[in-house]
Amino acid sequence: MTEDRSIIHINVADFAVAVERVLDRRLLGRPIIVAPEGAARAAVADMSEEAFQAGVRKHMPLSRALGRCRDARVLPPHPARYRQAMTRMLKSALPCSPLIEPGDGDGHLFVDVTGSSRLLGPPVDVAWRLYRRIRRDLGLAPIWSVATSKLIAKTATRLVKPLGEYIVEPGDEAAFLAPLPLFLVPGIERDDLTRLNDFNITRVFQAAAFTADQMRTLFGHRGAFIHERLHGIDPSPVHPANQPPPRVIEFREFGDDTNDRSHVEGTLYRLVERAGRQLRRQALAARRIGLVLEHTDGVRRIRQVRATPPTANDFSLFAHARRVLNLAWIRRVRLRRMTLVCDRLTYPPAQRLLFEPERRMAEKQDRLMAVMDRIRHRFGTDALVMGRTPAAVDELQKTEAG
Amino acid sequence: MAIKNNNPDRILVGTSGYAYSEWVDAGFYPPGTGSARMLAHYARIFPVTEINYTWYQMPKAAAMDRMRRRAPEGFRFTAKLTRTLTHEVDPNGWPGQATLYREGIAPLVQSGQLMAVLVQLPPFFRRNPNNRRYLARLLDALGDLPLAVEFRHTSWATDRVFAGLQARRVALVCVDVPPLPDLFPPLAMVTNPDLFYVRFHGRNTKGWRSGNMQKQFDYDYSDEELARWSRTHIPEIARQAATGIIFFNNHVRGQAPKNARMLMGQLTEEG
Repeated sequence: MTEDRSIIHINVADFAVAVERVLDRRLLGRPIIVAPEGAARAAVADMSEEAFQAGVRKHMPLSRALGRCRDARVLPPHPARYRQAMTRMLKSALPCSPLIEPGDGDGHLFVDVTGSSRLLGPPVDVAWRLYRRIRRDLGLAPIWSVATSKLIAKTATRLVKPLGEYIVEPGDEAAFLAPLPLFLVPGIERDDLTRLNDFNITRVFQAAAFTADQMRTLFGHRGAFIHERLHGIDPSPVHPANQPPPRVIEFREFGDDTNDRSHVEGTLYRLVERAGRQLRRQALAARRIGLVLEHTDGVRRIRQVRATPPTANDFSLFAHARRVLNLAWIRRVRLRRMTLVCDRLTYPPAQRLLFEPERRMAEKQDRLMAVMDRIRHRFGTDALVMGRTPAAVDELQKTEAG
Repeated sequence: MAIKNNNPDRILVGTSGYAYSEWVDAGFYPPGTGSARMLAHYARIFPVTEINYTWYQMPKAAAMDRMRRRAPEGFRFTAKLTRTLTHEVDPNGWPGQATLYREGIAPLVQSGQLMAVLVQLPPFFRRNPNNRRYLARLLDALGDLPLAVEFRHTSWATDRVFAGLQARRVALVCVDVPPLPDLFPPLAMVTNPDLFYVRFHGRNTKGWRSGNMQKQFDYDYSDEELARWSRTHIPEIARQAATGIIFFNNHVRGQAPKNARMLMGQLTEEG
């Protein structure tokens, strides 16, 4: 048996509002809504506890939010400020551990202090001191928790929001989770909740009564993951500070916001091509393909699918990416930015496909990719352009115009 | 192990906290012992422990109940009072915190396993009219719990304070600490005939105010240093109280359980 992990989770509730309040103390105690300016259908990006109590929620149209909370002060988002605050939080945590995983500008930090108690003292004391340091240096009052995994630590801070602390003793994880509503467990998504709600299941202990096999019947390949989550099992590591988890990210900000399907799919293929080349150059394959869509009104939708078997082939990557696009793109509001994330990287599978036709097709595609990579390496990326990409369309338009 | 002594029924010796992973390296816990199994192992050697984490967070009744069930029957606890009632007091909100604490600690009270609530006050908590008033109100608010008060500032070392504690039947915590100015001095004093309470913090003069627990409580008592307590101070206070609890807080590198066992050996020899 190895030593229990000690993971600290720092969570500044309503981060954007908290940062704005540090900079302008007059905002304290009054309802605040952070939402982009100038968008026809702006949505709430963040709100203060006062606004939340009045019924305002994230991603709610601003007009409806103001209907619920008429005296709210609306502020435009300042991502640069939030990134700066995150950097300073990270600096505060650096003396605690080299394993610090910050969130995406959202006031979250995971700090793994496993094995450092001889140097720094008990993990709970490290967490409290870190909380004090952030409060002193930044004027923010984060929620903090200590637990044996990121899953439990994050659930614990959700539980005491907007203020407080929670220590979950090792061995107490399942008992801690059991009485909680399912929506508090990170990783359990809206579709999962709906599915479980069909069975009148709303609490962790009810869902945890299912076996892993029963979960697989209900949720397919996600069943095993959900089963582990509900039993408090989360072996995912805290990644080192300034060293994000290995993944390939490609994004495109549309010059003019668009909801033109062929344009979006063409752009997606371009992103897939770039990501695929990076993967192949590193001799890695992605086990998960994710997509982040940002709409004109500031709403962000994130979806991901598992790639089985792992792949670095553009054709296969694009098939997965298009599936994710269909999952994520359900609003009519135009798109401003699209980010493709290939992660859970692994070495390409050594096992060949079982059935002859599939195997021949896959091998053919792999050979084609290798040839295309060689040509592009020698003559430049645009030496070969697929017909569906915007670059090809642009070229065609230029030719026609000429 | 509980030590029979002439006058008190029992003197219980233990450590301040028990879930230290570095005690595995120090050899107190067998290799590979996870935190969840530490209490069961600890309880085979010591009859009592001081719960530290209740200082960091408000105790929660369900978690407290699960923890006490992991210990064998007859095992006893003391629990630190939460920091929001000692170090980070909200002048308006503290009565609510006191209520929450009583609710959180209730499983230990109901099972009869709670020997005392340790009210450890910070060094900046000096004796002045405001602080005296606050302490009096706090002790009243927690009045039905068995209480022990530890001062960290020397201004509280006066007969009037001891008399006040005596009147309330609140135990004064006798401390063994480094000889530093302003620090509450080591005194063998009993203010509650039911209970005496001793805490050995170590005598690390250099590390005491370092702000680092690993330096502050890094100390290994010698036989002679402990013998002064086991031969003189403890028999003296044991004659004045029915029960006594003694904790070692010098947890670094497993020195606390080592010194606790040394003291237990000496007390057994003294009879």
